[in-house]
Amino acid sequence: MIGILICQIVVSIILACFFLFRPSLTRTTDWKIGAFIGLFVLPGLCIVGGMNVHVQRSETTRFCTSCHVMIPYGQSLYIDDAKHIPAQHFQNHRVPANMACYSCHADYTIYGPLKDKMAGLKRIYLQYVSTPPDPAAIRIPGGFKNVQCLHCHLGARSFEENPVHTALMDSIKSNQMSCLSSGCHDTAHDIANLGHLKFWKPVQ
Amino acid sequence: MKLSNIGIRRLLQVSSALVIAGLLLEIVSLLWFHPLSFVLFAFLAASLIALGILVYLVSLVFVVEPSADEPNLSSSSPETSNRSS
Repeated sequence: MIGILICQIVVSIILACFFLFRPSLTRTTDWKIGAFIGLFVLPGLCIVGGMNVHVQRSETTRFCTSCHVMIPYGQSLYIDDAKHIPAQHFQNHRVPANMACYSCHADYTIYGPLKDKMAGLKRIYLQYVSTPPDPAAIRIPGGFKNVQCLHCHLGARSFEENPVHTALMDSIKSNQMSCLSSGCHDTAHDIANLGHLKFWKPVQ
Repeated sequence: MKLSNIGIRRLLQVSSALVIAGLLLEIVSLLWFHPLSFVLFAFLAASLIALGILVYLVSLVFVVEPSADEPNLSSSSPETSNRSS
């Protein structure tokens, strides 16, 4: 994908170079069409293609953990303990491993991806302009919403047939009771105790 | 200074330079895997390319240059021939 886009960009640059050094070429109709393609159509497609690549890239686990404050969160995905919900999902591919962060933290609404990108820009501002927060002190504004879990689990047999889930289904769906409540699935990204935990080492 | 006085060639050169600069920055942003690469793309590369496209469109709208393919009507027009006689 990136290779094709870079080829398109290079072709566009070559075409634009003609009009930079020989603008008089546009006196003929053929070169007028060439100018339209080289200075309007191709650059426009390059913007669209570039935006697409960058948006897709920003959804990858590697991208999320490339910020310093997110490194411990990336490490927590390798904790060797089935009680750690993010690690369990990541290691068993219950979410795509290359999009682990985005799968659970995306806003699954119409304007969700746009809101996520705006929030990402705010985090970049905090990282490079303001003071970055302490990784252990990071909290999701408004708390982790059940809809993130239900996006995948709702309708799944193992979830629906669990007697605890069945009894509390209304509270879970209305977000009155969090999935991360104490006694339920309460261990997620245990950053504070990362030094004392055992880690899983993938074969590769 | 009116836009029509600048000339289509100068505007095309400006447009090409902006588009090339933006595209080069886009290549850098694509090859650089870093959180700032998105900022580089969105705020610099895309802006430069968009500005280049805008300058090109402005040159089309405000600056008119006779095409080389069209016959040179001014030399054969009655007014011209009257003046020469």
